[in-house]
Amino acid sequence: MGEPDMKLDKERRAFIKKVLNGAIAGSLLLVIPMPAGGGDPGVPEQIPGIRGKKWDMFHQRFAFIVDITRCIGCGSCCVADRREFNVPDGYYRTWVERYLKDFDDQVYVDSPNGGFDGYQAPRTDINVEVRDTFFVPKLCNMCKEPPCVQVCPVGATFKTPDGFVLVDRKRCVGCAYCIQACPYSARFLDPVTRTAEKCTWCYHRVRKGLLPVCVNVCPTGARKFGDLNDKNSEVYKLLHEHEVLTVLKKDMGTYPALYYKGLRREVV
Amino acid sequence: MDALNYVFPNDLHVHWSMMIVLYPYLTGLVDGSFIVAALYYVFGVKSLKPISRFSLVFALAFLSCAMFPLLMHLGRPERNHNMMITPSPTSAMSGAGYIYTVAIVLIALIVLLVYRPVLVKRRQESKGILKVLYRVLTMDSTNLSPESLELDRKIIKFLVAIGIPVATILHGYVGFLFGGVKANPSWSTPLMPVIFLFSACVSGISALVLAYIVIKKIRKQPVDTACVRTCINILAGFFILAFSFEMLEVFSHSYLRTWYHHSVEGLLNGPLFYSFWVWQVGICSVLPVFLLGWLCLFPTKETVFKFFAAAVSFILLLQVLLMRWNVVIGGQLMSKSTRGYTQFHPEWFDKEGILTVMVLVSLPFIVLFILSRIFPLWLDEGNVSA
Amino acid sequence: MPSRYNSHIKRIILGLVVFAALGFAAKLVLTPKSFGKYGPYRGDAIDEEAALEIRHKTNASCLSCHPYEAKIHLAGLHKTISCEFCHGPYADHVKDGKVYGKLPVKKKEEIKVLCLRCHNKAIQARPGEVIKTVVMPEHLETQKVKVSHTCDQCHHVHAPLKYINRAKQIVGIKEKN
Repeated sequence: MGEPDMKLDKERRAFIKKVLNGAIAGSLLLVIPMPAGGGDPGVPEQIPGIRGKKWDMFHQRFAFIVDITRCIGCGSCCVADRREFNVPDGYYRTWVERYLKDFDDQVYVDSPNGGFDGYQAPRTDINVEVRDTFFVPKLCNMCKEPPCVQVCPVGATFKTPDGFVLVDRKRCVGCAYCIQACPYSARFLDPVTRTAEKCTWCYHRVRKGLLPVCVNVCPTGARKFGDLNDKNSEVYKLLHEHEVLTVLKKDMGTYPALYYKGLRREVV
Repeated sequence: MDALNYVFPNDLHVHWSMMIVLYPYLTGLVDGSFIVAALYYVFGVKSLKPISRFSLVFALAFLSCAMFPLLMHLGRPERNHNMMITPSPTSAMSGAGYIYTVAIVLIALIVLLVYRPVLVKRRQESKGILKVLYRVLTMDSTNLSPESLELDRKIIKFLVAIGIPVATILHGYVGFLFGGVKANPSWSTPLMPVIFLFSACVSGISALVLAYIVIKKIRKQPVDTACVRTCINILAGFFILAFSFEMLEVFSHSYLRTWYHHSVEGLLNGPLFYSFWVWQVGICSVLPVFLLGWLCLFPTKETVFKFFAAAVSFILLLQVLLMRWNVVIGGQLMSKSTRGYTQFHPEWFDKEGILTVMVLVSLPFIVLFILSRIFPLWLDEGNVSA
Repeated sequence: MPSRYNSHIKRIILGLVVFAALGFAAKLVLTPKSFGKYGPYRGDAIDEEAALEIRHKTNASCLSCHPYEAKIHLAGLHKTISCEFCHGPYADHVKDGKVYGKLPVKKKEEIKVLCLRCHNKAIQARPGEVIKTVVMPEHLETQKVKVSHTCDQCHHVHAPLKYINRAKQIVGIKEKN
């Protein structure tokens, strides 16, 4: 294992630099020296500037950007999300949709099991020549004017001063009004707790300086998350340069903090 | 399923099912019967006297059972008091607890004051626990002097008068609850509170007419036809308003053809074709328009009139139920993807299932029966003047 | 003592006032303490959400205890794939700094299914510049490999081109890029 290894070593650096230029979850940027075997060295932070400081409730600004041009429909995000929160089958905090377009501009959309199994096979129920296809991940849009918060009768769902829309599981009465009010269908009623649930952009991880699980596991960098107060973050750069970023259902007036890069006009 | 049909993964399940169809229906019946009481006690429509008391007790019986469908629906009914402890300032639903409390206290007070002479007499004639009951219900007062009756009359008129806006809000807020959901294109319209309110009045008056005719038939007692005629006239007025607004909603959207319209159009012409166009509009709206027109405008023999008055009331009760079904459940069949529709399968033994519906619909009648033992429904029983 | 003409009204009003007062008192008692801290909701709920169990960690935490795999994984094209996606979340494996459960390692046909989740060209929506895709079983046929082979018989799962590149070196094939 002599010569080829050294070659690999040199190529490795070039490789890392090249691939990391793309949009990759920040976790792999920080590979710190490891103790040999045993013990948890603690997890290196993925969002700089959060650890070691008291959490400023009032001046946080986070953004989530989904890059449609990089999503391959692997479903890692759905799997990781379900495992992190023990989401019951048939309900989805996040899901991935597949869009197919034929030569007559007819659009076919599907999301088998929310994309949890990845997309293992092409659609068997359509018999047309497919012109174009793409995947669209969906999750909570973390609206700046959330209609779900507006309609909750008991204050069980609310917008925190740091911009996250959360659910108070101890207060929710399970009336499902918020589920009716969400234009993005991001919410559901958990059959086990009988309260409302939704994607929280992994608030519990972000508070500790980690990325949301779906962002962490995305192998292609289709999901990006970052701190807008950090001018070096990828999301800040995307939002302040000449990138075309759009939101879903803009006419609803919800002002989402979830942006899409490369979103196609067929997506609702 | 159709390859073009796409429903968001979280939209497959219909969250607001038959319990949420039942709740507006029950409060609607309350509203309608209260309108009849208001027409007599505030606006002095004398021909409604025979059912004036019946309408009040009917409203009370139904209002007392109105919260049960909601409690059956909530995922966490044991926390329902949260709505009154920490109501959200922006949520229509959080007003429910307060409005309901005000409404039921108001109607209970009106009933107690209207029936006070009867109750005082019964207190004096009964013994034991019933006597205690009547003492409580009469606030332990036996004063039936002309001054007290005059005071009662004025207060009743005042309470019924403020009861009109209370009843309006009681059902209007339900309409706004739906009308304020911008995410659902078949619900979000400013006309929703108006439609709900007018159809509530229709259902309440129809229920009173049908119940009046049926109860009197069972007891082999005569029906005051002039009273029924007045009710049918009022019913016709409210129904024309309700139907016009319902159709205005559909037709103006189908004319404007804005972005979400194709989803609603697909719903009404697809999954809801039979329940909306054939049943709600065709059989249960267009037909009653003609029936009501005939009953109101042309002279008819009394027996014929009574039969068709009961028939049209029954059809209108069905119409209002279908309208609630098509709005609540129909509206949720549309996925927010605007590309498809899901399905609703009513269960028999679910907490919100068919059996529960049957129990909760029978409950107000049982309460009405119990109340009728304390508050005689008809003026010829208990023989006191109103 | 006989009641006055308006006694019943006075008692009703008294009853209503008592009822309202009791209601108001109940509201004061039952409202949670942190309610209204930041807005019309229970402020403690924010901290409760922040304290939820973190079940996944990051690749750095796996690789810190598995240096052999680390070296291979970080050298290959699969370095962007999360260990926890294929193997399971960290919390199922380490608790309070101690190993307590074994994470599954996929074998045989399961590996093929797993690989095809990303690399199946038959699903047309995978952009070529993002990921290399192949159609099975044509890929095996063109590479002159038995169609019953699973992906890991040629490709190292942690660094998929490791053996391929080594094999090409040995045979003397130059890669056209």
